[in-house]
Amino acid sequence: MMIDVWSCGVILYALLTSSLPFDDRNIEALSEVNSDWEPRPFDFLVDDELIRMSLEDFLLAKGISAEKILEIEYIKAVAPRKQEPPCLHDDWVSAISGANSSLIMTGSYDGFSRMWKTGGLCTHILEGHTGAITSVCMVNPKGLESSSSLCVATASKDRTLRLWKFDSEVPIGHPAKVRAYKTLKGHKSSVQSIAAHPSGAMVCSGSWDSTINLWRTNESDADGDLTSIKKRKVDNDTRESQSEGEALSSFVGHTQCVSSVVWKQEEAIYSASWDHSIRRWDVGTGKDSFNLFCGKALNCLDVGGESSALIAAGGSDSVLRIWDPRNPGSLAPVFQFSSHSSWISACKWHDQSWFHLVSASYDGKVMLWDLRTAWPVAVIDSHKDKVMCVDWWKGDSVISGGADAKLCISSEVSIS
Amino acid sequence: MVNIMDTNEEERVKVCMSYSCMEEVTLDVEAETNQRVEESDSSEDEVAPRNTVGDVPLKWYKDEEHIGYDITGKKIKKQARKDMLDSFLAGVDNSKNWRKIYDEYNDEEVELTKQETRLIRRLLKGKTPHAEVDPYTPYVDWFLWEDAKHPLSNAPEPKRRFIPSKWENKKVVELVRAIRRGDIKIDKPKEESRLYLLWGDDSRSADKAPGINYIPAPKPKLAGHEESYNPSVEYIPTKEEVDSYNQMYEEDRPKFIPRRFESLRNVPAYENAMKESFNRCLDLYLCPRSRKKRINIDPESLKPKLPSRKDLKPYPSKCYFEYKGHKNAVRSISVEPSGQWLASGSNDGTVRIWEIETGRCIRIWEVGEGVQCVAWNPMTGLTILAVAVGLDVLLLDTGLGDDEEQYKIKKLLHVEATTVANDSDHNGSLVDWLQHDKYKGIRMRFRKTITSVEWHRKGDYFSTVMPGDSRGILIHLLSKKLTQKFSFKQHGIPVATKFHPSRSYVFIATNKAVRVYDLLKQKLIRKLEPSVREVSSIAVHPSGDHVIVGSREGKLCWFDMDLSSQPYRKLECHPKDITNVAFHRSYPLFASCSEDSTSYVFHGMVYSDLNQNPLIVPLQILRGHAATNGRGVLDCTFHPRQPWLFTAGSDSVVKLYCH
Repeated sequence: MMIDVWSCGVILYALLTSSLPFDDRNIEALSEVNSDWEPRPFDFLVDDELIRMSLEDFLLAKGISAEKILEIEYIKAVAPRKQEPPCLHDDWVSAISGANSSLIMTGSYDGFSRMWKTGGLCTHILEGHTGAITSVCMVNPKGLESSSSLCVATASKDRTLRLWKFDSEVPIGHPAKVRAYKTLKGHKSSVQSIAAHPSGAMVCSGSWDSTINLWRTNESDADGDLTSIKKRKVDNDTRESQSEGEALSSFVGHTQCVSSVVWKQEEAIYSASWDHSIRRWDVGTGKDSFNLFCGKALNCLDVGGESSALIAAGGSDSVLRIWDPRNPGSLAPVFQFSSHSSWISACKWHDQSWFHLVSASYDGKVMLWDLRTAWPVAVIDSHKDKVMCVDWWKGDSVISGGADAKLCISSEVSIS
Repeated sequence: MVNIMDTNEEERVKVCMSYSCMEEVTLDVEAETNQRVEESDSSEDEVAPRNTVGDVPLKWYKDEEHIGYDITGKKIKKQARKDMLDSFLAGVDNSKNWRKIYDEYNDEEVELTKQETRLIRRLLKGKTPHAEVDPYTPYVDWFLWEDAKHPLSNAPEPKRRFIPSKWENKKVVELVRAIRRGDIKIDKPKEESRLYLLWGDDSRSADKAPGINYIPAPKPKLAGHEESYNPSVEYIPTKEEVDSYNQMYEEDRPKFIPRRFESLRNVPAYENAMKESFNRCLDLYLCPRSRKKRINIDPESLKPKLPSRKDLKPYPSKCYFEYKGHKNAVRSISVEPSGQWLASGSNDGTVRIWEIETGRCIRIWEVGEGVQCVAWNPMTGLTILAVAVGLDVLLLDTGLGDDEEQYKIKKLLHVEATTVANDSDHNGSLVDWLQHDKYKGIRMRFRKTITSVEWHRKGDYFSTVMPGDSRGILIHLLSKKLTQKFSFKQHGIPVATKFHPSRSYVFIATNKAVRVYDLLKQKLIRKLEPSVREVSSIAVHPSGDHVIVGSREGKLCWFDMDLSSQPYRKLECHPKDITNVAFHRSYPLFASCSEDSTSYVFHGMVYSDLNQNPLIVPLQILRGHAATNGRGVLDCTFHPRQPWLFTAGSDSVVKLYCH
């Protein structure tokens, strides 16, 4: 009871002055005062808006009378509280996926894809690509977890996609080397992005040749085309057994490089392109049912937020934009976040939260955003060079890879 | 009639003279003959006395027996009067009676000669008495008006000019009298008020002064308390203040520093008195104090009406990317036609290929010397890079295509030894096509330094420029490994070549002019005259009808090929040399970069309507490059599909400006 009254006083103090009554530059000195003291920052909400300044400034800025009774909601501040040691790569880390809760998958410019466990332990190295890996995805992150077998897909600048299957059991000693079970060829130029069907039966890929291709993931399927089998037979002499797949269908419509594809719902693929447009493709018919022109070359795209309908995209400027395609007639972005200072290379919505997303930029910063405020709720500044990819992991960590060849994990982000 | 009869021949001659002096001589002759006739007549009449009464009415002698007196004073008797019957009979007998006239004055009958009757007839008709006289002869001016040494009349000035006019005097007297009488009233002069503002502002006395344009000279400042010989202490500056006055510029320094004196007697003469009064005089008479009529024009209204920059988006405006890695100034950049890769050549002897979207350097070639020019083959899928290095042009295989394309490229970039031999036999000293030993590719050996390589749009032909040679432009055919001279005479030092984007034309820029040749018909089509000191670069609009030319003194000329050979617009934007100019392939944008380490982006809209001139709007100055070794931005090129601009600087950085 005593503690509650004290903390109430602290909250009021923090609200009024936007600083804590017991602040100190040295955290050790602070914790020495109270042995079981643990800092727990809060954020305050007024009318569904986060307060990022002192309450007085907020009232002035919003024009709210000081005599009005405010309902202030407080939540735990969304900010990483712990930086895990970085996992070092040989080259730039260009792709990352945190869909699996035990393993982090990264793709690198040296052509290898790696699986990492917490503590900076590399468990698997996926070898085979001859060019830099541009995108990775987990084909069935949840479905096959019980059988401890993992299926992943990678896209590369060598114009191919590769599918890999391996046991997620951690080998002892040096990391296990894995070879692809299927190579998907068909793109005329480097593949920029890959996304898997929610059930894991298919993957789609966007390429520099401005097409989006659909591929089957199953291994040497019964109704697979004969050509692939023939090819395999020819290749048998020189290479190890590996099946080749051809594209199931191809969506043509973009006029420039397709830089990002997202496949969250069964029937719809979202794609972003350098031709300044975002399109939604109907998987059944192969037609684009929705076309959003945004005026900038786009690098990244994600769909999420409220009922998985908001589109977040960033591109060749420093603004992260969010559109709501449910608004009829209006193509103006509903949110614009412009705290970055360079191109935005990646953005991801949080799986559970409607409000939170993370973005990475070539200015070396990773920013956490809350839709309820225009300022970033947290800035992660652990990279020394361009950040090229970012993802959420296990719902409470932000993982990012960059041109400094590091995989950074910022954990203990409390999102309720 | 009688008078006419009386006038003798001389008088007649005078009349004639008044009509015409031309016929004077002939008339004189005539007059002489007449006189002789007269004389003969008079000799007959010698006995008959002449009347000498003079011009008196003849009625005075009406009742007298004589009609007058002759010379000797004797009376002249009246002749016996014939009665009517006698005279009638005489008339009937004499056929010449009609010619006879009675002269009352002399009291005699006169018979008119034939000549006289003719004369009378002419007079009655209103003609000139003599038929020979032409009254309408053209007027001949005998006086030489020009170059006359003396005035027309050399008469002295008349006296009246020197004496006061009597009539004026009279008029004045009349007016004076009228004023005295009170008939004329004159306004009384205004009475000046005896009071005036002693300390008033005299400069406001313009209303008093005559004329609106008069501005009185400003009065000198009146002496204040500080100029007293014994001012209060607060006026006296401290020593620090006096010292600080000496630190000031002479113009800012106060003219007078107050000092204190015990008595007026101790005040020395003011040393500046002469100088100040002299300056005051100078001010008064040298400064023109008059109202100037000035036209009030808003300078904004003189500017041409241009659309707002906001409406012309997108255009490159902000630098988001830097491609770092070169050790020395980057001389040349080129973007792959699909827009995925960027090639750059530097003075440090390397050629690099960058991935545009991430800024990663994926390939480095060490070529030894400073790279002059890099150029991608414009065919998609044919990823060949042409590099001009010193005396060589290297055709490098970048290895960015897929297997099929790589196979094609490998075949293209293969030189057989035999063809080399043939070629060298053929065009002796032009070019040697060799296989590059170190890198996969072709090495073309030239005799002089190559500064520029330009591909034809189909990616098979390319041209090279050797500024040191009088026939420095060569055209090469990659598929057959052939080289040919450019068949036209070159005027001046060649700077750059460009191929027309759709026709078989080639633009040759020399340091003075740009010439357009048709390669199929083998003839000169146009000559564009930028009239700048030295052309440094040229770019052709994707439509092919417009050309921009950059010059060494920082001028940018836009030519409309349909309009004239003179520039349609001349833009003077850079204070230093323009190093390169570029058009965007699809957006209406063009850019120039300069040694002053800036690049300019312009909107250059070309309309398909021939009546509408191209619209040129300056959009953005792109800064960011640091000047190194006195050089700025060395090359600029647009992204083929995005409205982005790449600039290469002497600070060894390539920058990407995005919209």
